[in-house]
Amino acid sequence: MKAAMLIVVLLVASASGPLIGQRGGGAGLTNPFLGNAAAVSEGETLYNGNCATCHGSGATGGETGPAIVSGDRVEIGGSDAQMFTIVKNGVTGTTMTPQRLPDSDLWKIVTYIHALRGPALDNPLPGDAAHGEAVFWGKGRCGTCHMLSGKGGLTAPDLSNIAGVRKSSSIVDALTKQQHRVYGSGGAHLKSLPPMESYLPVFVTTADGKTIDGVLLNEDSYSLQMIGNDQQLHMFDKSKLRKYAVERRSLMPTDYDKRLAPDEFKDLLAFLTRQGIKPAAAGRRGGPEGQ
Amino acid sequence: MTSIKHAVARTVFVVLGVASTTHVGTAGQARTPDQASTSPDPKDWVTYGGTYNSQRYSQLKQVTAANAARLQPKWVYHVAGTEELESTPIVLNGVMYISGFNRVDALDARTGNIVWKYQRQPQVSTRQRGTVAYVDKVYVVTSDSHLVALDARTGGIRWDVKSEGGYAIAGGAPLVADGKVIVSGNRPNGFIQAYDAATGQYIWTWSALPKPDDPAYATWGGSTPAGAPIWVSGSYDPESNLIYYGTGQPNPQWTGSGRPGDNLYSDSIVALDVKSGALKWHFQNTPHDTHDWDSLEAPVLVDAVFRGQPRKLLLQANRNGFYYVLDRTNGEFLLGTPFVDQLDWATGLDAKGRPIVAPGHEPTVKGTKTCPSTMGATNWPPPTYSPDTRYFYVVAAEGCGVNVITSSTTADSETGYYESPHEPWQAYVRAIDALTGKRVWEYKAVRSNHYGPGLLSTAGGIVFAPEQFGQVSVLDARTGQSLWHFNTGDLITAAPATYSVDGQQYFAIASGTNVFAFGLPEPR
Repeated sequence: MKAAMLIVVLLVASASGPLIGQRGGGAGLTNPFLGNAAAVSEGETLYNGNCATCHGSGATGGETGPAIVSGDRVEIGGSDAQMFTIVKNGVTGTTMTPQRLPDSDLWKIVTYIHALRGPALDNPLPGDAAHGEAVFWGKGRCGTCHMLSGKGGLTAPDLSNIAGVRKSSSIVDALTKQQHRVYGSGGAHLKSLPPMESYLPVFVTTADGKTIDGVLLNEDSYSLQMIGNDQQLHMFDKSKLRKYAVERRSLMPTDYDKRLAPDEFKDLLAFLTRQGIKPAAAGRRGGPEGQ
Repeated sequence: MTSIKHAVARTVFVVLGVASTTHVGTAGQARTPDQASTSPDPKDWVTYGGTYNSQRYSQLKQVTAANAARLQPKWVYHVAGTEELESTPIVLNGVMYISGFNRVDALDARTGNIVWKYQRQPQVSTRQRGTVAYVDKVYVVTSDSHLVALDARTGGIRWDVKSEGGYAIAGGAPLVADGKVIVSGNRPNGFIQAYDAATGQYIWTWSALPKPDDPAYATWGGSTPAGAPIWVSGSYDPESNLIYYGTGQPNPQWTGSGRPGDNLYSDSIVALDVKSGALKWHFQNTPHDTHDWDSLEAPVLVDAVFRGQPRKLLLQANRNGFYYVLDRTNGEFLLGTPFVDQLDWATGLDAKGRPIVAPGHEPTVKGTKTCPSTMGATNWPPPTYSPDTRYFYVVAAEGCGVNVITSSTTADSETGYYESPHEPWQAYVRAIDALTGKRVWEYKAVRSNHYGPGLLSTAGGIVFAPEQFGQVSVLDARTGQSLWHFNTGDLITAAPATYSVDGQQYFAIASGTNVFAFGLPEPR
């Protein structure tokens, strides 16, 4: 009874206000080799000797084991600590058996998979990034449409953090393959409403006959949102437009491996795979503590 | 750049509807920085407090006390990956910005459709109270204490700076004042910092704890000053170029024996010169606090004739249960009166506004009952002031708490507090005559026992009043009568915004992990 009378008990460790009593964070396993290039290389060798038979080369899936690395974007979840536990202990009821290797070797395998899974920043491509920057603004004319840290165009996605959200392989594909997007399997449930990524050409004629052309940021059945060639954001109620059209084709050229010399292409990739910000370590709820 | 029109042939046109009116919601001409910083367009809600004076009063009046009953939901946006939103939606030129640490979702404010998303890794759910839009940028704080400026049109990164000097920026919404982005935080102690809004260049830091050469250092009785966290946004007076912030409790939080004295500048309202960060004045609401009564409640700036004299005022309903009227040019105490009935820790305020403390309210191992509770007579969710009624509206919680410490001999004893079992807490929306402190009306938020939602008022004569337990009500600003209500189906711990797109007025509020928008039916 007495305990039930304590209707609200807030144990307060440090901070004030409504953030008291927030829930604690995860387990304490930490990857000792994160960011260690030699460990990535050793991990690749260990992976190829111990894991590739089932999980395939590059961890993209084999005959008997599922893909560990997949998709276009960075996987969310599946932490290094969780992966280490799976590799060390196996998965009960499956053919995934515990791996009898020293912990340091297991961590190297995890570090290799982390590099494959992680954004380009974790695994940037080799080359002369300074020369690549010159190609970006010069011969490649990337800055005509793309923006980097406030400089460049608005009619294509901002690339300031491209290496923080895409893998190196995905950046290469975007420059070289027409159909470079990797979609989820047909039955997959989306985690949330995704924003448009395609920046499709759009042509609008308003009720009073004014034409505004540009690229699409988003649309639904009743409204559309676009960046005009005037570099401004416009949002329309479709029912109030005289007409509009969306060109279902990306404006992004995909022959940079041909229009650039080999060293220019390589250095451009070295530059692009370094454009981004290293993510912070996660605290409680992933965020800052003590607020 | 080359027109896309010439790059790609026009193809199939989809013709929809009858051409009758012009398009809506084109993101219009940006205000100049001067205009943006002194008088934001009334159609926008550019900053946490709506306007820089934190009145949370909007000149929009399409929705009135006469037609509020016809309000209807317009859209809902689910902010995936969050737990309980505390942010005020920010609106500029028809785009709504919903923020968290590392994240901004930009929506078409008329439809709720996504315009862009900014998500820096890792995705976090730590609560955060909003962003700020200024001219052509939106500012967001990251979990590793970077301040990032995003292009308001696309979410592209315009600049990204790490906080200066190892200070960790907290979840209070940034404030733009005098062309500077003002941020604040708790670690290693309370602080306020300024960065150039255009470039991100660091400008100054003000620490809420005095250095040894400051006379205020002596108010810690020889102990090292600690605490005074600042985790809520402040207000800005462009005429005097002063910014006003509240500060939090001293540390150790619950046991004051090791820090004899007033413990400046904890639990205070401070005025800083926005150009230099220099302290112009301070007013301490709760000297030597042992109940965690932060002074982080919004400092509301009002110009009014007070006792026959035109004055520049600062109003605050404080967590300690008193409503304060100060002269904001110099911090002079003008008036202070309880805005809750259950207040027993002080018998009143003296002529300078210092509480006359009643004995017997220090936390003890056995437990000490004190009114109001540590949760406070109100808390960070912001109040509103209407210049039409001259009423100050605040979410007030009646109730007492029992404060316990785990040891009477440890200087930093752990503690808790709980609802006094025979007197359950109850939340109200209260209208207070701003210049006298007299209560005019109250609205009882049934089941809500806790602060949670903030308020806003409008020239339409209404108060938009969400409740902790998920109801959203519109109250008559003069009488408190409920005119309309809607059940959002989740807890509300956030403050609302109102804005207008193409002549249509909307109200927006975060509830749980969703943002709701309401408005009148559109004419057909």
